[in-house]
Amino acid sequence: MKSFIRFFSSVKLAIVLLIIITLASILGTLIPQHRSPAEYAANYGQLSGLLMRLEVTKLYSSWWYLALLFMFALNTIVCTLTRLLLKIKKVFRPAFDYSEKSLRSLNNTAGFSLDGSMKTLEGRIALALKWERFRVRSSKGDGRLLLRGTRKSLGHFGSDFVHLGLLVILAGGIISGFAGFRTTLQISEGQVLAVPTADFSLRLDKFTTEYYENGSVSDWKSDLTVIDDGEEALKKTIEVNFPLSYKGYVFYQSSYGWDWNHPSVELVMKKTLPVEAEETILLRIGEKAVFDNGDLEVHALQFVPDFILNDQNEVTTRSLQPNNPAVYIKAFRSGNEVFNGWLFSKFPDFARMHSRDEGDLNFSFSRYEAGQYSGIQMAHDPGVNWIWFGCALLMLGLCVAFYWPPREVRFILNEEKDRVLLTVGGIASKNKDTFKKEFDRLVESIRRQP
Amino acid sequence: MTEGTLFLVTFILYIAAALTYFASLFTRKDKLGRIGYGIVIGGLIIHTAALLLRTFESGHAPFTNMYESLSFLAWSGVLAWVIIDGKFKIHKPGPYVLLIVIALMALASSPLMPKEATPLVPALQSYWLWLHVSVTMLGEAFFAVAFVTSIMYLFASTKEKKGAASSTSISADRLDSISYRCVAIGFPLFTLGGLVFGMIWAYRAWGSYWSWDPKEVWSLITWFVFALYLHTRLVMGWKGKRSAVIAIIGFLAALFTYFGVNYLLSGLHSYA
Ligand code: HEM
Repeated sequence: MKSFIRFFSSVKLAIVLLIIITLASILGTLIPQHRSPAEYAANYGQLSGLLMRLEVTKLYSSWWYLALLFMFALNTIVCTLTRLLLKIKKVFRPAFDYSEKSLRSLNNTAGFSLDGSMKTLEGRIALALKWERFRVRSSKGDGRLLLRGTRKSLGHFGSDFVHLGLLVILAGGIISGFAGFRTTLQISEGQVLAVPTADFSLRLDKFTTEYYENGSVSDWKSDLTVIDDGEEALKKTIEVNFPLSYKGYVFYQSSYGWDWNHPSVELVMKKTLPVEAEETILLRIGEKAVFDNGDLEVHALQFVPDFILNDQNEVTTRSLQPNNPAVYIKAFRSGNEVFNGWLFSKFPDFARMHSRDEGDLNFSFSRYEAGQYSGIQMAHDPGVNWIWFGCALLMLGLCVAFYWPPREVRFILNEEKDRVLLTVGGIASKNKDTFKKEFDRLVESIRRQP
Repeated sequence: MTEGTLFLVTFILYIAAALTYFASLFTRKDKLGRIGYGIVIGGLIIHTAALLLRTFESGHAPFTNMYESLSFLAWSGVLAWVIIDGKFKIHKPGPYVLLIVIALMALASSPLMPKEATPLVPALQSYWLWLHVSVTMLGEAFFAVAFVTSIMYLFASTKEKKGAASSTSISADRLDSISYRCVAIGFPLFTLGGLVFGMIWAYRAWGSYWSWDPKEVWSLITWFVFALYLHTRLVMGWKGKRSAVIAIIGFLAALFTYFGVNYLLSGLHSYA
């Protein structure tokens, strides 16, 4: 146990761990994370197996990286606690064990004698110290008087707040890792969606995309209603950077897309039989339109937003963006198929080339319409409040550590006939230049006779 | 006055200030150093005007593309230097700090940098962007000054060892303590801007405060290096050469976080 504490209270260990964690973190930014085995094999060849076995390919959640962080946390706890006990004792119950010799060896020191009794001088010094906002404590013994003034003692504990904040942040990270839950929801206008793991639902009332004048997206907005226990509990319009929170769940506007399952298409049909005519057809996929008293039928069978042929020469979509929308239709006359082919809204002339034979019918694909869905990133993260609390402690600690420098002045008073011999020493571990001035001013104010 | 003209005037003033500082370095006239300081303040004021004008014209924070971001970084560097020189009255590192600033300004005005203000993608429309970027850059600016004084320390200490130090040049000890003071200002700023505000913004925009994105990791690395600086110095009593080397590495890490990650690694922070 003793050697365990000694090992983990060492600052040298902290330095070594910091260096190793830094180097490991660098490695993780050089090797792309969370890619497929095939990609690693292509990029690293023989080495890829080793990289994956060492979990370098998911470094920040690898057992050894987490073990390093764990050791670092343990190091911080043990090191901070062991020093904290000593520090508390030193600050709140300081020992009066200093000598003239030790005071004279300090950077800020003075020695002189003054008229008056110990008692009056003690009062004067204490007054001067209090004037400069020092806290005064004294101790008497074998004809000497020891006085100690301390200021901004909280400054000793800045580093402890920093380390505590760091630990709270790490704890928050662990909570996030285990209890945090994140997923993307796709929700169309009018749809009610049960929120995964929660006991309430979400309804999208309206989804809008806003554009800048040059056509690029400026914002997405979703009007959401939280439905809890069958009642509308909360209504809010979310947009990027302005999420909705409810019962510890947060909903972020993250993307949008089209609902390609039920699009409707508008086709223009030109026919020459029985008379020349042009018809505009509005259809949903799976539906058919009928003309010429039931003799002519047009079926819309399939839709893809981004038409492409795959290796097997089958039609698929390359993406969910409407880059090359295409619709597959068939036409029948008296039950016989007279047209069969893909129509492209961006390439109106393509259809004829792909229809089986040149008939009297000519189609073009003029418009399509699909409902949009809103992509909502959902997060339920019980660790996040710990993170903010830890950050606050960390920042508070940094301010205290760097900008609240503790000061201490020590006095030894020795009675010598009817004069008193004074030895003064000042200690400051930070902002030594400013302390030098403070110290000199203090000593001068005591030295001057009232 | 257009923003471009103000930028140019600023650029010229910084060059003039650097030359004056250099002149003070070689002629050993402190008065020239003070004049250089005055010119830098003039440049900073006009630079501030340029940034404000840009903000009003574009309607968003002046650091959303590389041109704006470089110009803002240069501004932060000058501000940090004005504070340090004002506090410690040492003009000697001035020309070197300004050399970095001028390099940033030159890079910003190079034809490779697109200058027109573009509308913001949705994720960038947040006041946390202001806080995150401006505070981080200010912290990095103090690291930049520490970088310069640390390099000067290395030169000064070898010179002093040879017994060649002249009475007018700044002592190695003083450079060492100024480096520390810069880190002591830069570290809390960087922590607040780079890590805390960064996490808050990421949480507001993406729903996740930390995603181990390369830019995040490199900020963390920079932070670790300066934590190393503080602990070796304050707990283990390292000073001088070793401290200076860590401060230099720390600034290089910050620089890589800023430039390298964008151009060499890929991640979420695809904009400046
Ligand atoms: C990245 C993580 C860490 C950060 C950001 C950090 C930050 C700090 C800061 C800001 C200070 C105050 C410096 C000052 O007083 O001016 C400090 C002091 C200190 N740190 Fe850390 N620290 C970290 C990790 C650790 C670890 C793991 C240990 C464990 C060995 C440690 C041990 C100490 C000690 C012993 C002090 C001096 C405390 C005192 O006596 O007041 N630190 N740290």
